[in-house]
Amino acid sequence: MSINPLATRRSFLAHTSAGVGFYALAHLLHRDGLLAADGPSKPGENLPASLAPRQPHFAPKAKAMISLFMHGGPSHVDLFDPKPELTKNSGKEYAGNVQYSFVNRASKKLFGSPWKFAKHGKCGTEISELLPHTAGVVDDIAVIRSMHTGANGHEVSIRYFHGGIAGITGRPTMGSWIAYGLGSEAQNLPAYMVLSDPAGPPVDAAHNWNCGFLPPLYQGTVLRPKEPRILNLDPPADVAPDVQRQNLDLLAELNRRHLAGRPGEADLEARIASYELAAAMQTAAKDALDVTREPERVRAMYGLDRPETREYGTRCLIARRLVERGVRFVQIFLANQPWDNHTTIKDGLPAICKRTDQPAAALVKDLKQRGLLDSTLVHWGGEIGRLPVCEGELNAQAGRDHNGQGFTCWLAGGGIKPGITYGETDEVGHKAAVNVVTPNDFQATVLHLLGLDHTKLVYHHNGRAQRLTDGRPARVVTDVLA
Amino acid sequence: MLTRYLLAGLVLTGAARADARAARPAAEPPVTFEQHVRPILKAYCLDCHGGREKAPGGLDLRLRRFALTGGVTGPGFVAKDPGKSLLVQRMKSGDMPPGEKKVPADQIAVIEKWIAAGAPVLRDEPAALPPGLGITAEERAYWFYQPLKRPAVPAGADPSARVRNPVDAFVLAKLREKNLDFNPDADRATLIRRATFDLTGLPPTQKEIDAYVNDTTADAYEKVLDRLLASPHYGERWGRHWLDAAGYADSDGDGNADTVRPHAWRYRDYVIRALNADKPLNRFVVEQLAGDELVPRPWTNLKPEQVELLAATGFLRAAPDGTTTGATDAEQVVTDVLKVVSSSLLGSSVGCAQCHDHRYDPIPQRDYYELRAVFEPALDPGKWRKPGERLVSLYTDADRAKAAAVSAEADKMQVALSAKQTAAVRAAFEKELEKFPAPERDALKAAFDAPDAKRTAEQKKLVASNPKLNVTPGTLYQYNQKVADELKAEQAKIAAKRAERPPEGFVAVTAEVPGRVPETKLYHRGDARQPKGAALVPADLTVAAPEGKRFEASAKAAPDQSTGRRLAWAEHLTTGEHPLFGRVLANRIWMHHFGRGIVDTPGEFGKLGQLPTHPELLDWLATELPKRGWSLKQFHKLLMTSTTYRQSSARDATKDTADRGNALYGRYAVRRLEAEAVRDRMLAAAGRLDPTAFGPPVPVAEGALGDTDAPDDKPRRSVYLQVRRTKPVAFLSAFDAPALEPNCDRRNSTTTAPQSLVLLNGDFVRKQAGHLAARVRTEAKPGAAPEKLAETAWRLAYLRAPSADEVKLGAAFIAAQTAAHRSKAKDAELAALTNLCQQLLASNEFLYVD
Repeated sequence: MSINPLATRRSFLAHTSAGVGFYALAHLLHRDGLLAADGPSKPGENLPASLAPRQPHFAPKAKAMISLFMHGGPSHVDLFDPKPELTKNSGKEYAGNVQYSFVNRASKKLFGSPWKFAKHGKCGTEISELLPHTAGVVDDIAVIRSMHTGANGHEVSIRYFHGGIAGITGRPTMGSWIAYGLGSEAQNLPAYMVLSDPAGPPVDAAHNWNCGFLPPLYQGTVLRPKEPRILNLDPPADVAPDVQRQNLDLLAELNRRHLAGRPGEADLEARIASYELAAAMQTAAKDALDVTREPERVRAMYGLDRPETREYGTRCLIARRLVERGVRFVQIFLANQPWDNHTTIKDGLPAICKRTDQPAAALVKDLKQRGLLDSTLVHWGGEIGRLPVCEGELNAQAGRDHNGQGFTCWLAGGGIKPGITYGETDEVGHKAAVNVVTPNDFQATVLHLLGLDHTKLVYHHNGRAQRLTDGRPARVVTDVLA
Repeated sequence: MLTRYLLAGLVLTGAARADARAARPAAEPPVTFEQHVRPILKAYCLDCHGGREKAPGGLDLRLRRFALTGGVTGPGFVAKDPGKSLLVQRMKSGDMPPGEKKVPADQIAVIEKWIAAGAPVLRDEPAALPPGLGITAEERAYWFYQPLKRPAVPAGADPSARVRNPVDAFVLAKLREKNLDFNPDADRATLIRRATFDLTGLPPTQKEIDAYVNDTTADAYEKVLDRLLASPHYGERWGRHWLDAAGYADSDGDGNADTVRPHAWRYRDYVIRALNADKPLNRFVVEQLAGDELVPRPWTNLKPEQVELLAATGFLRAAPDGTTTGATDAEQVVTDVLKVVSSSLLGSSVGCAQCHDHRYDPIPQRDYYELRAVFEPALDPGKWRKPGERLVSLYTDADRAKAAAVSAEADKMQVALSAKQTAAVRAAFEKELEKFPAPERDALKAAFDAPDAKRTAEQKKLVASNPKLNVTPGTLYQYNQKVADELKAEQAKIAAKRAERPPEGFVAVTAEVPGRVPETKLYHRGDARQPKGAALVPADLTVAAPEGKRFEASAKAAPDQSTGRRLAWAEHLTTGEHPLFGRVLANRIWMHHFGRGIVDTPGEFGKLGQLPTHPELLDWLATELPKRGWSLKQFHKLLMTSTTYRQSSARDATKDTADRGNALYGRYAVRRLEAEAVRDRMLAAAGRLDPTAFGPPVPVAEGALGDTDAPDDKPRRSVYLQVRRTKPVAFLSAFDAPALEPNCDRRNSTTTAPQSLVLLNGDFVRKQAGHLAARVRTEAKPGAAPEKLAETAWRLAYLRAPSADEVKLGAAFIAAQTAAHRSKAKDAELAALTNLCQQLLASNEFLYVD
């Protein structure tokens, strides 16, 4: 009654003629007999819907990416972009034009950062006292101070970063494009995984990991914020492991008999193999998600020993365990826009920094210690930044309004030049002034590091050759490449 | 004359290319401007150099002679010398086109080849050209835009009885070209399973299978089809197909809020009812596009059939609409509605032409906005009505009168109650007052009777220090329980009275505001803030009619009612001659029966879609539909009585080699059930499917483990589960139920490990396995042997008797697990049987149909 899982898997591999990933099972045989099986043969055709690993366009620097998406708009002038002019003129009227979101609370009073900046590391990059742990890894990161979306709204800019066009939902996200372009290296985990916040979904919810017009197998798999992080991973409560094995054996036998009467039906064979892989995943995914298997030292490094960092640290640590196992793209989201400090920034900003600073820095350190940083691109950044002028009165309740004109993000590893800063905002930090980087530039650069040419990564849909950057001006920011 | 001749030739080429893509002609035809070069220039250059009023650098590339004349930097090309040609130089250097998108090398090579050959043209170029890119003869010649003509049915080369109807004649002709033949007919049990799932999305009953297998009459199969087509479940199945194309959902899709659409279900019910009634498809489409224009205003005292007409326009309300919470703007809704309309009815992605002329298909930007003008008065982004402002009350005058009468009566009761309450409070106060010494009473009374604002300081003190006297309706019970109870009972009576108001239903309608006719203008680069040019006339796509015969949707209705634009366009679509609509509709029906379309990109028939595998068959079907009075049920019968449909699904190596994807239909395709059918079949096997039809959807909710599902005590068909865009039912989306962005032309059928996890460990499947196990035990009678239990389980799950071997397999499993469970489980046999049943439900035989 029992079947040999290895034999099943081997026959499955023979049919897909490529390494097999978790979702590679989703690979439908290319249904159209008129078309070549392995690639597009005319304009308007797409790569087959498969997650078998694909050759990149050229030798990649990074094999995987972890993105720490900082919802709400981290205040760059208080964190990464020191502005002596702003400090000096704090409280004075700003002479330039300001683009506000909340005009009813608009003020032109400059609001110098209440926090001190200092040089850190060998590179001497200036970092705010709010980020002591990030300051400890400055020699490994490239700080880009000239990000620009041109729009102040959260959704508009979030969609620009994820989907390539400002304000539009329904397009595939960057993670989907990466999964489409590269397939999966993971043996029994999804290629594109999303770690959501226990406090709730991020702004725009499922649009943040939508595959848009790409086939659904390129959609992000959301790990739930609490246990069980993957649904249906555990057998039903009344089914003991040995019983589950008996059940699987019976199922395999039923399917084997069914297939015997229908030789050559690849779909049926794929489903047989998918049961074995699902069973394997019950162990593999559990292992990947179980941070208690990490030594105490590592857990402490991510702040798992303290309440304010435990939750975010756990997700950062899971992210590392996932890329270690071949997951291609992991994105960590935040609920409730903690960086959206419209009021009382003096309390709000330190709080979110305390929650995320140590885990984010630990991720870089940990990857480096394991020799994984070279092949893993780490991104830290929000969709916008904040204004140098205050929102409301300049008092203890002061905050800052949205700023899509200029803000900061950082990148590390995966072919990024370490220990540099790139780009500048104007003297008060409102607008990106030198070496402006748009979300499309950012996307082109990320794809480049992963071995993909953003102009060539194409999916034909709705009568158009679609691209992440949508044919808009987009440059690979070569100055930040190692 | 010359043009007509040329067109005819091109049509043939197009059709021929469809069947023999691999077979390239030995000698390559000459490269010409019209056929080869202009499409490249259109894709990369004409946006600026031809499409604009003022071409940059004075260079216009719309004609060969314009290109030769060139612009300020000189002639565009030098005939026979590609190396000296500016066109080639600028493309090769990457200077042109500007921006990221460059001309690929293989396409530059085509231009070089053309120049080297002396830059030939197919025919004389016109002396003058109107502004814009227009539509060329070559573009018009594409197969999809040719008028619908009824092709001759291939002559009966097949003396065997395999050609049962013209469908088979067309299909067999193509098979014969490859020396292939149909498979033998499937056996009866297989065929009735196939037909039943196909038409109803449910399994047949054992009785139905037995009846058909044993029916010796000549028309036994036809009788089965008639029975299935008459089933109320037919509309639920085929309605679901259409709801995909329409993008039906019960929520607005506005970000995290994803506001529920409480009345959308009326459109879902309209679709199901229309299909069950075999409403002619032309009428079905007209009602969905313009049902409101068929109901005279004012919309009061609506008759049921009028409500249906209004509900039908839910088709144009299905797209996401985030304007309630401001998640998206009205222009985005208009864009999505046009996408739904064009992909479902025209097989064309008109969306590209929103910003510029379509680069691959002959759809000028102006066409997009002229088509939009058909819908502009109803959608009206300039004076947008949010979803809540597009509802029509279903109250009749009688309902309203009843409601008013009920309210009046309840109000009267309330007045009486209030008086009684006031008196009771006063009485309690007086009684309490008596407990005070007589001399104090007057002062106290005066203090409590004075309005709060007019109390003196002394009175305020008195009130504050004597809370006991502060009797209110809320505290009355502490002074006089009996009267408080009486009052409470009367209040309940009033509430009951108010509940007698007839419930007010609403229908979500797409309709115009009478008298308001907003202008439609072309948006520069698709930007709504930059309208330009004159107001446009509502019209069909230019290319959908022969040159000069373009259809304009001129006003049809009384102007105080509606412009009638949608009605005019809908009637034009459904004359039976519209080349796009006819082919798209016939193809969609075919696709659902056979698992693939004749054009396998059902929402995209243009240059970027796929070519038809059987162009003549498609045209024959498109002309057959109106001939049969647009009866979908007759059309089903036509397709399902064909040998093409009735043949077995067995594979053989020869056919697999010649036709791997079964594009020629040499066998019937084994197919996995769609998401809804998997769920419904499980409920049916478990004996729990609740056949209640219609009405508000079964609400879905996130369970304790975070997966969205409907409560298990409401096991209705999946089509009646609420469709929340952000909270899809986990089981259904695991099996490829579509994410609606905004609609779905064609579902995927994937095989994923999450599906396996759902089947192995998911709560829904586990529960149904338990129900099925209980049913097996009941039907097998208490105390039945494992063999009997296994046999019963097989029959209930698979609808067939198991082989002796299978009985042995099942019985051994039950016996072994029962023994193993004995110490742990309360009912060891039921636990074992549940495990057996779950594996049956999760197996391929359950999930796939031959």
